[in-house]
Amino acid sequence: MNNAIPNEIERFDLSARIQHIVLFTSFLLLAFTGWGLKYAYQDPASAWISFWGGAKMAGLIHRIAGITMLLDFIYHQFYLVNQARKGGFRLSLVPMPKDVIDAFHNFMYFFGLRKEKPYFAKFNYMQKFDYWAVYWGMVIIGASGFFLTFPVTVSSIFPMWSVQWIWDVLFTMHSDEALLAIVFILIFHFYNEHLRPDVFPMNWMWLTGRMPIEQLKHHHPAEYDYLFGDKSKKK
Amino acid sequence: MRNWLNAVLLLLSTVVLVPAANAAPDAATCLGCHGSMEGAVNVNQEKYSKSVHGSLDCSMCHVTLKGAQHQGFSGKADKATQSLAAAIGSKSKVDPVAQAACAQCHPDSYESYKASVHGQNVMVKKSSDGPVCTSCHGTPHYIQTKTNKESAVNRFNVVQACGKCHEEKHMAEKYGFSPLVMERYLESFHGRKLKVGHAGAPSCADCHGSHGIKSAKDPSSPVSGQNKIATCGKCHKGATPKFVAAITHKPLHPIAHFAELALIVLTMGTFAFICIHVLLDIFADIRDRLFRKGGKHE
Repeated sequence: MNNAIPNEIERFDLSARIQHIVLFTSFLLLAFTGWGLKYAYQDPASAWISFWGGAKMAGLIHRIAGITMLLDFIYHQFYLVNQARKGGFRLSLVPMPKDVIDAFHNFMYFFGLRKEKPYFAKFNYMQKFDYWAVYWGMVIIGASGFFLTFPVTVSSIFPMWSVQWIWDVLFTMHSDEALLAIVFILIFHFYNEHLRPDVFPMNWMWLTGRMPIEQLKHHHPAEYDYLFGDKSKKK
Repeated sequence: MRNWLNAVLLLLSTVVLVPAANAAPDAATCLGCHGSMEGAVNVNQEKYSKSVHGSLDCSMCHVTLKGAQHQGFSGKADKATQSLAAAIGSKSKVDPVAQAACAQCHPDSYESYKASVHGQNVMVKKSSDGPVCTSCHGTPHYIQTKTNKESAVNRFNVVQACGKCHEEKHMAEKYGFSPLVMERYLESFHGRKLKVGHAGAPSCADCHGSHGIKSAKDPSSPVSGQNKIATCGKCHKGATPKFVAAITHKPLHPIAHFAELALIVLTMGTFAFICIHVLLDIFADIRDRLFRKGGKHE
């Protein structure tokens, strides 16, 4: 076992950081331009759309950002495969039964029923939630958005008995789940990675990719123990 | 002495001017009174002069005028105007001939209107509903070209013009169109894009036609049966029967309705969960900082 404990460890490599930047840039563009159409009948919508260069330009930005995001997502799958190929790949983001227990323990901690935070691993259940929310969004919003972009082509794959409702369903999926994604990011992700007193104004990991060892020990004790064995005394 | 002179001058000028008025009074003459009168007979001179009809004389449309004050201003309308005026006589509040006089200068529109479902309803069935020119275009005094934003039939305004009748429930029942025509259009991509100013988004008239509009049940309607493929194909190249079946303006299908409901429940459920989670997290953090100093946070 290596005795030297580094000052910080790398959590996200350069590729992951770039993927994140592409993801949130396209996400913001999609949210901004899509918002104007979702709330077209609210007063500021038309002015907001003209700010983005008019309805046609806003639509173009939305489509380009959407395709960029889908490509980023697909790239991420290759990235994962490549990580696995290189070895040392751990399924640290896969939801486990322990996550349910952790969540339960965390709520008990919130209510003062437990003295300690749960024994969180490399990624806690909130981070896993954040991560897998993107998959949900890609399947629901990404797929419906792709269908809505090419309605004539896509209409040929839907059976005749579905045409009376499929487009309404796709539209609702796209619009409602986009709202869900935006509010999720605004509340959950922004609180956890920006507003939380420990990280305010932001968690710099999105740029540096590295986490100070103290923070790791404090927020992800299981990962700390996994990496540095018995160096830390179990409480 | 001077008063006498003025009186004579006035008298003389009246004698000279009256025969001229008998020929064709220009708009200024009429506006002399109607520009300042109150109520329905008022014509706003400034708005009138800026309208597309601003250079016309009033008597071109107001062909037959009644009342002693208009004596000598009366003429005879042409045939098309007379037949339209006869058809709308019962519902025209002020002057059916003037309201029908559009037909004089706009014969093409008049002919298509006459053959349309609207025109048939008004002129053949003598229905009390059914639009005449002014129902959609507004008062002819202030008409603007359809590219002007003020125009009632501008592509961005025409939806409201159609909606005056087509969002009425009793109209939907009487004439057998979907009561949700307007609602379903407005919430569609077409309606939303038009609202935010997309130049390519279709208004009602782009698919259904305007003056020559037909009932959707009429085989000659652009939105009836196979015609729909060509109509949708104007924008959606390669449209197929399966593709064009999607837009009907009919109420939401139950499957779509319940899918929407399920998504709302999911969305609201997630909102509730994350909001509670974040709030509890904040309160626990505050508690730790106040009462558990040196505990969790280094």
